[in-house]
Amino acid sequence: MKMMMGIEVHCQLSSKSKLFCSCSTDTKDKNPNENTCPICLGFPGSKPKVNKAVIDYGIMVAKALNCKVAEKMYFSRKSYFYPDMSKNFQITQYEIPLAVNGFLEIDGEKIRIKRIHIEEDPAKLVHKGGDITTASYVLIDYNRAGMPLLEIVTEPDFTTPKQVRLFLEKLSSILEHLGVYEAEREASLRVDANISLEGGERIEIKNITGFADVEKALNYEIVRQRGLLRMNMKVERETRHFDADRRVTKSLRKKEYEEDYGYIFDPDLAEVEISKEWLNRIAAKMPELPDQRVQRFVKQYGIDEYQAKVIVYTDKNLADFFEKCCERYKNAEKAAKWIITYLLKSLNWHSISIKQSKVNVDSFIEFLELMDSNTITERYAKELIKEYVDTGISPKELIKGKVKSLSEKDLKDIILKVLEENQKAVQEYLQGKEKSIEFLIGQVLVKTKKQADPKIIRKILLSCIEK
Amino acid sequence: MIEIKTVKEFVENADSIDFDDFISSVIEKCEKIQSKYQPFITINKNHAKPKKGLIHALPVSVKDCICTKDLQSTAGSKILEGYIPPFDATCVTKIKQQGGVIIGKTTQDEFGFGTFNVNSKYAIPKNPFDVERSCGGSSGGAGCITAAADFPHIAIAESTGGSITAPAAFTGTYGLTPTYGRVSRYGLIDYANSMDKIGVIAKSTYDIALMLSIISGYDPLDSTSADLAEQDFTKFIGKDIKGMKIAVPKEYFGEGVDKKIADLIWEKIKQLESLGASYEEISLPMTKYAIPAYYIIAVSEASTNLAKFCGLRYGLHKQLSGNFDEYFASVRSQGFGEETKRRIILGTYARMAGFRDAYYLKALKIRTLIIQEFKKTFKSFDIIAAPSMPVLPLKFSEIENLKPIENYMMDILTIAPNMAGIPMISVPAGLINGLPAGLHLMADHFNEAALIKASSSLEGLE
Repeated sequence: MKMMMGIEVHCQLSSKSKLFCSCSTDTKDKNPNENTCPICLGFPGSKPKVNKAVIDYGIMVAKALNCKVAEKMYFSRKSYFYPDMSKNFQITQYEIPLAVNGFLEIDGEKIRIKRIHIEEDPAKLVHKGGDITTASYVLIDYNRAGMPLLEIVTEPDFTTPKQVRLFLEKLSSILEHLGVYEAEREASLRVDANISLEGGERIEIKNITGFADVEKALNYEIVRQRGLLRMNMKVERETRHFDADRRVTKSLRKKEYEEDYGYIFDPDLAEVEISKEWLNRIAAKMPELPDQRVQRFVKQYGIDEYQAKVIVYTDKNLADFFEKCCERYKNAEKAAKWIITYLLKSLNWHSISIKQSKVNVDSFIEFLELMDSNTITERYAKELIKEYVDTGISPKELIKGKVKSLSEKDLKDIILKVLEENQKAVQEYLQGKEKSIEFLIGQVLVKTKKQADPKIIRKILLSCIEK
Repeated sequence: MIEIKTVKEFVENADSIDFDDFISSVIEKCEKIQSKYQPFITINKNHAKPKKGLIHALPVSVKDCICTKDLQSTAGSKILEGYIPPFDATCVTKIKQQGGVIIGKTTQDEFGFGTFNVNSKYAIPKNPFDVERSCGGSSGGAGCITAAADFPHIAIAESTGGSITAPAAFTGTYGLTPTYGRVSRYGLIDYANSMDKIGVIAKSTYDIALMLSIISGYDPLDSTSADLAEQDFTKFIGKDIKGMKIAVPKEYFGEGVDKKIADLIWEKIKQLESLGASYEEISLPMTKYAIPAYYIIAVSEASTNLAKFCGLRYGLHKQLSGNFDEYFASVRSQGFGEETKRRIILGTYARMAGFRDAYYLKALKIRTLIIQEFKKTFKSFDIIAAPSMPVLPLKFSEIENLKPIENYMMDILTIAPNMAGIPMISVPAGLINGLPAGLHLMADHFNEAALIKASSSLEGLE
């Protein structure tokens, strides 16, 4: 069944002050409505004033997404009544946005970017006693009102929900590399996804916050819409909401007609001219972007492209972490392998990023070196890393008292004991049943509490049997 | 107390007055005037000692749509009754810095929506020339107190489509609408932001020039404020007008304009000629498109500006009940007057998808053409002269019988220059049957100097 998917991404930019006033954007540890002023509260007589730093950020993103930046841009008023709006219109861009016609490549496929525009974030609504559909009352926190948002709109070029997730991961990495966004901030990236299946109308799912949730919501919609269409039922145009706990989408409102926002140019804001000089100034300070970094990782560290992509696209901090490790730890391939396969797995298990975790470069190198010196086995290391991520305690500390170095003689004694207890398996092996040796190795591992290297066990085991 | 009547004398002798005595006698006078003519929504009775400055201790009234810290500012609307702004408008800050004393907030049509200052649920100002008649609007209170005050005083007013010119003409006072961007709009409760201008109503050209010098200048808080250095406009007072070229557009003397007023204005133009200026009759054919285009832009902007009044954060609010839509609808139904509701509906319509191109965007194009027409005229002329208003001050009973469209037509002489954002001044031209009429002078963007020269040259002549 043919389907079309596109997304609108709202990214909160990390400028120091809000888009149209000098209120701080740092709401951490702030009381509700503390970061407010007459401008972001929309008091009568107050006027917005553009924060040029936000436009700088916007231009950087536009360039990274291969877009054409407008020579002159304008702000418009998008009118609708909603309790999170301090003025009941949102200052956004309509006719002439910051940038248009770009693309981002996901595994060789181009996803076209239709437009990028700057707008103000509305206030945060806190639904009390339920979710958006069931709450008994709502509180409004204007700390978020007037935060700078960048809206990135794609064409409906996605072919799978997974591709949408990959796009978001790469986009987020780009934003982080540009230093224009803080992934850790609450709801700093919000997605509206739209999807239509052949034979049905377009469904929009509003305000999804996690990348994995976007994928889940779209997968859910495919199943739901397919079901309806197979039963010859209509898929009608509507806006839905993703319930992350129950992993389903729920109808928010039917769209009987195209919403009419009565756009006019914002007459309080003069046009913004983006000169060649301005663009050049931004171009000169563009940092290394994820794609360039992946290529450099392959060249500089000799890891393969797949590994480099996972490290770089997952999270800029993870890529920084990898590079810092490689400064002192020379086996880059091993570092990459352990980061991707085991460290990332443990982080994901806890749903935290490397920055939020207690993992640091020093202790991680220590961990790798414990393996290199045969102090711990790889097998034990896989267990140890979970505890390490959990607690942040240095691996050296963690293994204290647990790992006695097992002398070859001790190991041999254990092996002899195992052979004695498992005569049957020894006989089977001697009769040509190769697999029996694995069983014996396993028994030795149990007795040594996994502290011996299976390769060494095998060596001793074989020599003992032959004797 | 020394009896000082003019602002010029007052500021020159400001050091010799006892402020407390002076201000309490001024407030007493204001209260007397209020009981007779009703120019105020709020009279300010709390006064700290003013700063030393260019207008030390000078009484200044401020139109109610301009925010004054700790002093109620309603813009003439019940939806803002009791609203005490937490900040001063930039122009008010500047006035206070120069020692000006805010004596009160003057009446106006709700949000500036009107030509006669009758569209308001607060007091309606009565014309000191005849209390049966309107003071003009929307800055009616500013004109009224200026005409009625027998103490030194300057009024801060505001014009979007003629709201300074109309009351100045109807009350026989001087009214300057500066170039758009000359005076910061920060702190002005918006009507139509792309056309709103804060200006001055006063008893002489000197007062106008003095106040303009104080309130004008670049303001980083207003993106549309012009990046120009502050200057002293009083230096243009009494400057020679020899060689000044005056354009007299025939469209401004045509149908709908009282013949007696037209004749009086011609007399004033001849006076300017006798002082060394020359005049020529011209045509401004775009004039006829100004009113529809103006109203479309104005109501489009106004309808978005007024959306913020929903009873959640300030102004009129009620017991929370029902959902958000029901709540704000009930607050707005109660708080807005009829003309305001009319303009919100018109504006919302003009912005709707499907009509937007035909109305809003087309009106913007017409505005550009009107600006070009003025710009072209000012290549050959220094000023344009015309009547300020097509009629003499109307009786309240006559205004009641005007249909909305007839009402809007009263703005025919002021709309085009207001849309173009050019500066203009209404100069008292004399009385007709005991009622005042105004001469309207307009100049190119940022050429207020020409207006001050021409206006002051007529002073003292009869």
